[in-house]
Amino acid sequence: MTRRKARPGGQRRPQRAKDVLHGPAGARGDAFRCVGCRLDVSLVAPGTAHRNHCPSCLVSLHVDRRVPGDRAAGCGGRMTPLSLSVRADGEWMLIHLCLTCGELSANRIAGDDNALALIRLALRPLADAGIPASRVMLAL
Amino acid sequence: MSHDHPQHRSAMSSLSTFTCVRCGLTVAASAPDGSRRNHCPSCLHSQHLVDHVEGGPSDCEGRMTPISIAVLRTGDWMVVHRCVRCDELTSNPVCGDDNQLILMRMAVRPLAQPPFPLEAFGDL
Repeated sequence: MTRRKARPGGQRRPQRAKDVLHGPAGARGDAFRCVGCRLDVSLVAPGTAHRNHCPSCLVSLHVDRRVPGDRAAGCGGRMTPLSLSVRADGEWMLIHLCLTCGELSANRIAGDDNALALIRLALRPLADAGIPASRVMLAL
Repeated sequence: MSHDHPQHRSAMSSLSTFTCVRCGLTVAASAPDGSRRNHCPSCLHSQHLVDHVEGGPSDCEGRMTPISIAVLRTGDWMVVHRCVRCDELTSNPVCGDDNQLILMRMAVRPLAQPPFPLEAFGDL
């Protein structure tokens, strides 16, 4: 169970370092290959210590359960970006859906994530001519 | 409880209610379209009663806040909930009488606070 307490001065706890084995057969690697677009992605990301998705196509892999880097999930399925959520402090979170087991997970976006893909995801609820969207706009 | 009386069972399910853990509203458990509802139509909060990994009842029972809107390929909206106790995420379909103001507020929230300037996208 994780509880977030307000810290004096309004700062968040610094992110835990993520120390995992990314290479083949457990060898230490400093990069991973995206299962969606086969891009080689460096683990060093601007703005986050927990990069878990491809900056180009935003696809992730279901290997961690709750703590970034714990490698506790036995699924290993592909996770596609499902939606965007906004934290109280204005940071965007990317919600991933595992295509194999249906599990959801949240991760902060990184500084070099594909802005066009993020905007397309953010506009998805409003884009589909939405019966709900247009009805609400009329009601307001 | 006898299971061989479908009329009795449907009457039970259409009459059962639950109380919202956040706003205290008493909510009918069946939505107007006949589906079971699991979140309050007024504040969209839910309660963590089902274990989504194993499928059985959950012992957490924490409050679940709505954090985002997901869109299926069919165009249907889903509400993504996060448990405030154990941080589990779930997604549930939107009911017809859910609070549209809160739904729209969640849908446009990312665009209200973008992490990068949106002006550049006008050129595309």
